[in-house]
Amino acid sequence: MGNEFVGDKPRRYITQNSELITIFIMATVKINGKEITVEDGTLILDAARQAGFEIPTFCYQARLSRLGSCRMCLVEIAGQKKLQPSCVTPVLHGMEIFTQNETVKTARASMLEFLLANHPLDCPTCDKGGECELQDLTFKYGPRQSPFAERKRRFHEKDEILSPVIVKNHNRCIHCERCVRICDEAVGAKALGGIGRGAMLKETSFLNKELDCDHCGNCIEVCPVGSFMSLPYRYKSRPWDLVETDTVCPFCATGCQLTIGTRNGSVLRVRSKIETGINKETLCARGRFGYDFIQSEKRLTKPMAKKNGRLTECSWEEAISQAKNKLSSAKKIAGIASARLTNEELYLFQKLMRNVFRTNNIDSGSRWTDKRTTDALINACNLSEGGTSIFEALKADLIFIIGSSISDENPITDYLIRTTAADKRKNLILAYPRRIKLDSSATISLKHTPGSEDIVISGILNALQNQAVKTDGSQVSESDIATIAQRMKTASTISIFLGTDSLRFANGKEMLLGIANLAKALKASGKNIKVMPLLDRCNQRGAWDMGVHPSFLPGYKKTNSDGMDCTGILEASSKGEMDAIYIIGEDIVSMYPDAKFAKEALSKAGFIIVQDMFLTETAKMADIVLPGASYAEKEGTWTNQEGRLQRLRRALQPIKAAREDLSILSSIGGFEYKSARDVFEEIRKEAPGYQDISFDSLNNTGVLVKGHGAEKQGSRGQGVKGSSETKINPSNPRTLEPSNPYLDDYPFLLITGNHLFHSGRLSQKADVLKRLLPESFVEISDKDAAALGIKEGDRVIVKGKHHEAVLRVRVKQGSLKGTAFIPENFEDVPVNCFFKKGEGIPRVKISKQ
Amino acid sequence: MNLLKKIFFIDFIKGLSLTFKYNVSRTITMRYPDEEKWLPYQRFRGLHTLNRDSQGRELCVACELCAKVCPTQCITVIPMEDVGTDLKSVPRGISDRIAKVYEINLVRCLFCGFCEDACPTTAIRMGRDYELACFTLDCAIADKKKLLTPRDIPAEFEGGFVVKAKFIRNDEGIKVKPDLSKKKRWW
Repeated sequence: MGNEFVGDKPRRYITQNSELITIFIMATVKINGKEITVEDGTLILDAARQAGFEIPTFCYQARLSRLGSCRMCLVEIAGQKKLQPSCVTPVLHGMEIFTQNETVKTARASMLEFLLANHPLDCPTCDKGGECELQDLTFKYGPRQSPFAERKRRFHEKDEILSPVIVKNHNRCIHCERCVRICDEAVGAKALGGIGRGAMLKETSFLNKELDCDHCGNCIEVCPVGSFMSLPYRYKSRPWDLVETDTVCPFCATGCQLTIGTRNGSVLRVRSKIETGINKETLCARGRFGYDFIQSEKRLTKPMAKKNGRLTECSWEEAISQAKNKLSSAKKIAGIASARLTNEELYLFQKLMRNVFRTNNIDSGSRWTDKRTTDALINACNLSEGGTSIFEALKADLIFIIGSSISDENPITDYLIRTTAADKRKNLILAYPRRIKLDSSATISLKHTPGSEDIVISGILNALQNQAVKTDGSQVSESDIATIAQRMKTASTISIFLGTDSLRFANGKEMLLGIANLAKALKASGKNIKVMPLLDRCNQRGAWDMGVHPSFLPGYKKTNSDGMDCTGILEASSKGEMDAIYIIGEDIVSMYPDAKFAKEALSKAGFIIVQDMFLTETAKMADIVLPGASYAEKEGTWTNQEGRLQRLRRALQPIKAAREDLSILSSIGGFEYKSARDVFEEIRKEAPGYQDISFDSLNNTGVLVKGHGAEKQGSRGQGVKGSSETKINPSNPRTLEPSNPYLDDYPFLLITGNHLFHSGRLSQKADVLKRLLPESFVEISDKDAAALGIKEGDRVIVKGKHHEAVLRVRVKQGSLKGTAFIPENFEDVPVNCFFKKGEGIPRVKISKQ
Repeated sequence: MNLLKKIFFIDFIKGLSLTFKYNVSRTITMRYPDEEKWLPYQRFRGLHTLNRDSQGRELCVACELCAKVCPTQCITVIPMEDVGTDLKSVPRGISDRIAKVYEINLVRCLFCGFCEDACPTTAIRMGRDYELACFTLDCAIADKKKLLTPRDIPAEFEGGFVVKAKFIRNDEGIKVKPDLSKKKRWW
């Protein structure tokens, strides 16, 4: 940057290609006599912090919009009579700023005095005491006395309970409005607002009633004082008593960093640290409040073996030796591992199955698809080519999200996208049949028929190539497709976020191929494309990286002979061909989309070993049950959906006689690994992408995995050669066959997936989360509800071809007509019973009870 | 003069007079622990007490400042929410936050009184009990119930003298129960 630019205003140019270019010009300012050159337009606060001067703040937070209300950050600017709030004042070239002189110090102390005038000073009973920003700043900058003798403002005697997890004390509020802003800008729930004026302002829910929001607790986290507090953690401990362990959230593949606080061996709370990890202080309800499953009374604490048809407790030696004998004597053997295990455990699992028991029949259960579709996803997202930072992906001009109820499946990714999409120059295009929270931030939101994603994608592809667009059967207007294609043409960088819903549809493979083609076509036209997966299991990507897949070895190396995927294993088992199945952490009976088939298949298996934390439906069928450990009880690494390797740290010892999954696998396989570190060292040798990463240097940011250098999988022979070759014929929609005899009898297409408060069946064991949503429901669109004469909260009969359930209705405005949603998490409403293997999306009928 | 002194045993009488004076003066030997006991001043730092307010509510709000400030870390406080209280019944504590567990490990305690200084509600006070001997180490942990039990010597009772007392020895340990009405100036 040449000196001649210094001091000029930023210039914005429009080039011949109608691109907007902003050139930042530097400004030199003097802060406390120290000269610093920063970009013009930088806030004084940021400039001062860069120069190494501390300025206290309450209302300022980097990711939130600027408010300038707390006046803690006042600074003196030479030539200006009044002090200026540095968090909203940009620097100007030549400014002389003082942040530490007597005027500023007095102003700070007076501001604190004003805040403390109405602050109740009930620190001894306040849960924030000890980590309160007001306490800290008062000790640092505050006046040590107050002449204020009048009565303090007092709204109430007893704290108000705003939700099953949030409790509010209005008396302590200092009006920084961080809670309101994080709720609006990041979470998007817009559940909080201000009532009243001046000192009597209350930041609370609508009409101060019980909150009906995401219950994410981010308001608790950002609150600088003890105004918002967590109800499960209420009066449990003091922050200085807690032993805090940084680890990673187990509920989705976003991979949020969280901190578990334990006291005397019991988990008391989970919090997130400011500016840490990709989540940057935000978490969702399940991450923040779903920790009590770790010490649930329902946990398995002792190994069990089947004796006379009943599972009875036995010793570890007995269980291990029996498992070993049965596995080694079995001729045909298969293994299914949960994608919630650590990389080390998954690696060891595939090593055990491949090297010791000589089989390639291993799979991890991501939505229980066939391996061809999985391969298509791996290929479409270029998973073998290493990780892509989500922040890089979010810099794109256009973000296209398809196949994921992202607000429910990956809430923090949703927050990140919402914050980014606040920039109105960006295009956010969302394609999902239900109305989800992120729709409010989207420029275009497509509501297409479930299962018709391939038609949408091929439509866009055709429109990009200026060919005729046909969207029959997808209920999407051709003009929308044309607009999307137009936006894609003008954008120079595009990020496509790809959900896992495609793995459940019969034609998911076509959609994924379509995405790969779309990406290729866009890349060919000189655009920068990133395809990001949105996965629902925390280590799904790691499981594929580690070779827990019937046709890949660690690092996506091809196997010599393909094994069976999960469906194949169950099919073989139903024919009575499987001698032994080893299942870790998966509840196949309740999650496989055809409960009846899965149950029958497993009942015919020769011998079943289940390693899990809870006695699941699958574990009840097992011959041997081994109690495993939860995420808080083990060391290891997880690879999130971006391909970011993050470290789990042990906060507790495994409950009672339960053992870490790694040590169970080691004893069955006779391996001699002392710790997860040893296994990781071996992973580094086997998976080239992990080669340069050292286990001990993994910090809170994690490290992006590099490319594995494996040959690119051409989607198993149906290679992505050119966009024109794999065009899908849109005139033949597969899910809405007009000849479908059930179409009239069963007018609704049933979508299933995770609810915002739940993830698989794991979070069902967390009592706090169960309190947030005690019973399952069926969600239909407002148009359908009006047509059927159903109101919110009514009980209805949901009847499918194979199953029937009575559920409460939730009416969602703006969802697509003819779609119904039931969360797959509830034990008493097993949605997988609605499914029939090979039929794809089930159809249901909804009628009043 | 010297001769006269020698003849009349003056020095001898002087010396003996002091002896006889003490012979008829009040005795200074305290018959502790069998009959008497020294009742310490109010500022004495003996076994802690947890106090209640005039309405009988626990003053302790389980803020854990005593535990934090304790140099030997002998105090354990685990707070809880007093959910059982409604507006009609008298709450257990002055706030809805009360101590679920309040324990002092007397073996580790060095009776410095920092806990007393840190307490924002004057809930914990150093009492005037100093007979802490017992037969097992279990009794060295003073729990909440023990600390909340009213003591023989009320806090407002002025100390600094000897009172009549009764020596009690039972399975729990030894104790010297003072009779506060019969005070006796010592010295």
